[in-house]
Parts: sequence; structure tokens; C-alpha cells
Amino acid sequence: MSSSQSNVDYQHKPLPSSFTKIGTALLAIGLIIVIIGYFIDPTRAAFNNLILLMFLVSIGLGSLFLVGIEYLGGAVWSTPFRRITEFLASVLIVIPIIAIPVYMHMHDLYHWTHNEAVQADKLLKGKEPYLNLEFFTIRIVVFLLIWLAFYFLLTKNSKKQDTSKDQGLTKKNIKISAIFMPFFALTITFSAIDWMMSLEPHWFSTIYGVYYFSGTMLAALAATTYLLIYLNERKLLFKGLNQDHYYSFGALLFAFTNFWAYIAFSQFLLIYYANMPEETFWYLARWEGSWIVFSIGLIIVHFVVPYFGLLSQPSKMNPKRLKFMSLWILFAHFYDLYWLIMPTYNKEGIVFGWMELGFPLLAVGIVALMFGLKANKQNLIPVGDPKLIRGINFRL
Amino acid sequence: MSSTIDYSQELSVVEGKPPLRSIDDAIIKPLDSKPDKKYYMALAVTISMLGIGVIGLALSFYYGTGLWGNNNPVGWGFPIVNFVFWVGIGHAGTLISAILFLFRQKWRTGIARFAEGMTIFAVMTAMIFPAIHVGRPWLAGYLMPYPNQHSLWVNFTSPLLWDVFAVSTYFTVSLIFWYVGLIPDFATLRDRTSNKIKKIIYSVFSLGWRHSNRHWQHYEMVYLILAGFATPLVLSVHTIVSFDFAVSIIPGWHTTIFPPYFVAGAVFSGFAMVQNVLIFIRKIFNYEHIITLDTLEKMNKIILLTGMLVGYAYGMEFFIAWYSGVQPEQFAFVNRAFGPYAWAYWIMVSCNVISPQLFWFKKIRRSIPVMFVVAVFVNVGMWFERFVITVTSLSRDFLPSSWAYYTPTLTDFAILIGSFGLFFTLLLLFTKTLPVVSIAEVKAVVDGAQPSHKDH
Repeated sequence: MSSSQSNVDYQHKPLPSSFTKIGTALLAIGLIIVIIGYFIDPTRAAFNNLILLMFLVSIGLGSLFLVGIEYLGGAVWSTPFRRITEFLASVLIVIPIIAIPVYMHMHDLYHWTHNEAVQADKLLKGKEPYLNLEFFTIRIVVFLLIWLAFYFLLTKNSKKQDTSKDQGLTKKNIKISAIFMPFFALTITFSAIDWMMSLEPHWFSTIYGVYYFSGTMLAALAATTYLLIYLNERKLLFKGLNQDHYYSFGALLFAFTNFWAYIAFSQFLLIYYANMPEETFWYLARWEGSWIVFSIGLIIVHFVVPYFGLLSQPSKMNPKRLKFMSLWILFAHFYDLYWLIMPTYNKEGIVFGWMELGFPLLAVGIVALMFGLKANKQNLIPVGDPKLIRGINFRL
Repeated sequence: MSSTIDYSQELSVVEGKPPLRSIDDAIIKPLDSKPDKKYYMALAVTISMLGIGVIGLALSFYYGTGLWGNNNPVGWGFPIVNFVFWVGIGHAGTLISAILFLFRQKWRTGIARFAEGMTIFAVMTAMIFPAIHVGRPWLAGYLMPYPNQHSLWVNFTSPLLWDVFAVSTYFTVSLIFWYVGLIPDFATLRDRTSNKIKKIIYSVFSLGWRHSNRHWQHYEMVYLILAGFATPLVLSVHTIVSFDFAVSIIPGWHTTIFPPYFVAGAVFSGFAMVQNVLIFIRKIFNYEHIITLDTLEKMNKIILLTGMLVGYAYGMEFFIAWYSGVQPEQFAFVNRAFGPYAWAYWIMVSCNVISPQLFWFKKIRRSIPVMFVVAVFVNVGMWFERFVITVTSLSRDFLPSSWAYYTPTLTDFAILIGSFGLFFTLLLLFTKTLPVVSIAEVKAVVDGAQPSHKDH
């Protein structure tokens, strides 16, 4: 078995310098816009910052989940690409920095932080044991610590395996992943509730965590797919990447596009059908003014386009199509988060300006830089992983 | 063996590299041999149970549904509980045959055929209940939207109608899927049998299958497409069953997590049932090398996963009921856990959430007696889950003047026992008439049967 290990045809090469350059440029431009934004209109900037935060949580935490699920499920086909996902998970490290400005503008974002409003409102008063600043802070810190702890544990073992080739590390990571899963389910749910659902503190939906999770999976998968095609085009990965690898990513993107639509539709239909004012107002707010266009657009952007774009078997195997669709899906996830968050900022209609452009640039910059930093230091494929050869030789 | 897993090698899902011919022999043996005494004893038990159900149903038809415990305000008693339970049992089959196929899980091959059979029998059993629950089953034909002389048109906004569409589609696709998988096996049976009548029957059902390359190519294509069709059905059927509850405004029923929660619960109970039955099948028919302990362990992992998903949903419902600040909602959940039906609620929680936690331990996942007991608990728990959802919410109506305690009657229990009787009778007949493991698929996953891509 050790003989089969040694014939991986891989040499570590740094990413093209353009990758980090573009990443840094985007980061710089984005940062400047964001800083100006905070000076001109801090509330609007904070709302945008919240979208950015949730987007990066999606990429980072979603990727960490993908890493864990690969270990747990014993998946082989994805092993050669696990490093890409691991590098993307490193976005988790910057989450605290992104969260600080949001946290500093809690008052502008969250109605429930206004004590006088809470005291005057019977419903909010009832939620006070959960929705209060102290408990909120504790939760965020605990969640972040959990994510970072599992991130460091999983990636440390994986990295160590590059040199030691110790199968015991795979076993260790399987155990860590198993323990991670319940924590993942709870933290992602309550993060979604805390950061996003409580923007409308009167509204509630039990499926909300699952809804955010479905988008998270799409974002993490799409980012991985895009990067693996990018790296493969530049011959930075291994030899022998084939259609069947592409197909697996295409099929998963397609599956989770459907899963998102399923969850989104379930939530909508049940609220629409029961027609109770304590729930419907959330959807009605997204039906107000130009929001109606945006809401219908969500169906097209997040479901119709990726659905038909990935429906046929050849399209799931075509790297060009996959590259476009993965970028599209990342855009769709941003669009979705905007749809979830911004109606609280402006009830009359959509707001779009230079500030809304700056934050996505910053997001791309951060992801690219974090990825680039890791990719230039570490092997792009887990050379010591016992499943690697099988993964490279994978055929449907 | 647990400490020395070599991750660089693929583990075979069939143990011991048996010669292909011995697989034929092992799987076909129950069809060629006369049933033994134990088989007849088992059949006697299940048919007696079925008989009890028939008596219960006959009495219900003669005297009317007043024989049941259903009354105001609990209009949905056992029939709906049983319906949801049985539809749920069926879900493991479709998940194993369709979703695990798309995920290329080879360990599914040993258990897929049997699980698919259980799907079909479970759905058949389930369909009895809405039919009798409408009170006049002879009018059920009007649920089909067709232009009839009475100018009756269906109510497309009613979840009852969605159920008709969802369940009948599910049943049809499951049946076709099952049959398509059986065609190569029918051909094998045809080629082996020396009995003339059997030969005619197998020939008809094998549709002229010759095991040719072309046939296999078409077969693989059809199987993949059907798996694609069946995959959304795994989700849609129980989603729509959950809509029966969730589109209403009854506290405890109307909650947005119901669709995925019901799907997870259905897969949970379905896997528990499949695992229970397979433990007997592999022992009695000597399939221990085909349906291996590894396979059972994997099933137990899925039971653990889905059990925790269900637990997540219980927790979420409770939390949001409190968080929402809606008083009837809060009351409904406190009433579930601490009201007159608290006993049912805690049976549900301990069976569904607590008992599967044992599967965190590898020793327990691989211990047949323990896993059997846990899966029985899961089945009991999942039946109680539907009972808790249906009955507790209805028994506490919005007006305290219309509160009542639901007590099932003997007739209710008779029909419930009868449903188990029907299901297990069909299963027993299945084991003696059709190959309960897919011969063709198992052969393809035996060590050494795989084509090698490395040197062509």
C-alpha cells in the first residue's frame, strides 16, 4: 500500500502571481469603498457588512462542513480536492474581524437592542431572555471558538499527513468530524437566527437554519468547483483530473440548487397557505415596492438559471459551463443574503449603489487572499492521504 | 479489525470473494426449495394478524366508523397516525435504491431489492388508511380529477388531493423501479429453472432479456433515469404528508420545518424497519456474506444521523414556539411535554432521540442483538411521534370547552395489528417468490468483478 502512495505525480508550485495581485487589488478597492461607506452612511454600511459577514461564514463554515462530511462519509472522489476546501475554510479566521464593525453597529441593525422598544413591546419582552446583548455576545464568541477549534484540528491533522503519511490521522479526523457535526448543526442554525432572523425580531420560522444551510452548501461547493477548475487550467493540480470528477461537483451543485428551492418553497408555501399575519408580514415586506421585482428575481437567479444550466449530463462535465455556473451560484448566494437582510434596511424598495458594489469586491478579495496565502505555503493536494490515489483514479 | 482499516484500499461489500455461481445459488435457493415448517408458522402468525385487521375493518364497515376512537375534537386518530407511519416505512427503500444509487454507494446492492419491496408493501398498507378514513371509500374515485357526469371537480387546494397525487406517483415509480431492477434476475431465473410453468412466467417477466451488452447499456441508462425520477419523490411524498398538517393553523402542526423534518423521520423509521427485517433474512437464508455486518453498521450510522435530525426538529419546534411569543403555540408544546399525553411524548423522545445515541459506539453498531433492539425502539418511537403530533394538538382545541382525551378503541388496535399483518404477510410471500437480493447487482460488486480503468 505504501508503494501505491508514492506514485502521485505532483510538485508544489505557487499560484500565478496574478491571483494574489488581483486578490489584493480587490481587497484594497473594497476596503476603501467600505471605509468611505462607513463615514458617509454607517447604517447602510453596517447592513452591507452583515451580508458580507454571512457570505464569508457560508464560504468558511460551509467548506469546513464539506471537509468533515468527506471524512465521515468515507468519500474518495473528493479527496484530491480536499485541500481547496480546507483553504477556503481558512476564511473562518477572518470572521471575527468582519464581525467587529457589525457588532459595533448593533443598535442600527437590530431593533431588539433598543431597551425602551423592548419594554414597550410585549412580544419582544418575552424574547428578552434570548435576545439580549449579553447572551448574544456570548453566543457569537462561543460559536466562533467552536468553528476555529474544529478548523485547526481538522486541517492540522490533514497537513501533518502530508509528511507522515500516517493513516491514523485519517481515523482521527473521522472522529473529529463526527463530533463536529452536531456542533455544526446547532451553531449554523443559531448564527442564522441571531444575525439574520432577529433583524425582524417579531418574525419566526423553524426552517430558517436549514434555509441558510442550503445556501451555505451551495456557496462552499461553488467556490471549490470554481477554484479547482481554475487551478487545473493552470496545471497546478495533479494529472488525470477527468470528466467524472467534474461531474460529481456538477451533480452536487445541481442537487443543492434543488434542495435550496425545496426548502425555500416549503417555507413560503406553508406561510402563504396558513396566511397568519404574524408570519406573512415578512414575505409581504419583500413584496413591497421594487422588492417584488427582486423577490421574483430570486427565483430566477437562485433556481431557474442554475437548474437549467446544470440539468443535462454533458453540462455537469463541461468545465467551462461549471466555471460559469459556480460563479453564478456564488452571485446567487449573495443575492439571497441581500434579499434576506436588506428589506429591513429599506422598506420602500431595493437600494443599490457604489457601496453595494464595494462589499462584494471585499468578499472576493478576502477569499482570494486567504486562499492564496494557504495555497502558496501548502500542497494543493493532500499528498499523504491514503485515499488520494483512489480519488485520482476515480471513475463513475 | 477496526484498528487496521487500510484507507488506500477499497473494502469489498461482499465478503470472501465468492464465485459468481455461488451467488446465483445462494439467492435463488429459497425460490427453488419448499418452504419449511418455520416459514408456515411465521405465515400463520402474520395471516392471523391480518385476519384480526379484516375483522376490525368488516365491523367498521358494518357498524360505521363510530367504532373508532375518532371523535370531536380529535377527528384524526389512528387511521392518520398509521397512514403516516406506513408511508414513512416505505421511504428507506427509495432512499436506498435511488439516492444511494446516485451517490454510488456500493453497499446498497445487497439490501436495495428487499428495501424496495418493503417500500411497495408499506405504501400498499398505508393507502388503506386514508381510504377508510374518508368514511366512504367507494367515493374515493372522485379524488381523481376527471370530467364526470356529476360535474364534480376536485379541490386542488386541498392537501388530501395532493396526497392522492403524491402517493400514487410514488407507488407507480417505485413499482416500475423495482420491476426494472428485477428484469435481469428474471432472465437468470428463466435460464435456470426446469419447471415448465415457472419458465413461462419468468420468460414473460424477463421481457426477452439476453444479458447482452446492448441490453445492459439500456438497462443502466433506464436505471439511472429512474433513480433520478425517484429521488425527488423521496422528498416529495413525505413533504406532502407533512403538508396535511402544516398548511393548517393548528398549533403544533403549523410550523415551517415540517417538510424536511418529516422526510428525515420517514427515512429514520424506514431504515430501522429494513434493518430489523434484514437481520432475520441474512440469518435464515445464509446471506451473511452478502448483507454483511459492515452494511448493517452503515445502516445504523444512517439511523443515528436521521435520529439526530429528528431530534434537531423537536428542539427547533420547541425553541421557536417559545421564541415566537404566540401563546397557543407555546401552550401546544408545553402541553405535549407535560400535558395528559406526556407519556406518549416521552416515549417518543426516549425512543427516537436518546436510544439511537447508542450508535455512537462502534461496538454497539456492530452488535446484532443491541442494534435490533434499538431499531425496534425507533419504530415504536416513530409511531408515537405521529401519534403525538396528530392527537395532542387536536385534543386541545382553541376553546377549552372543546377539549377531550382521545382513547383508541379495540377496533382501532385491530386495524393497526391487521396493517402489520398485511405488511409482513406480503413480505413473507415475497421472500419465496422473488429473489430478495439483486443477483445481477451483487455480482457486479464482488471483488474482481470491476472493470479496471488503469491499463486499457
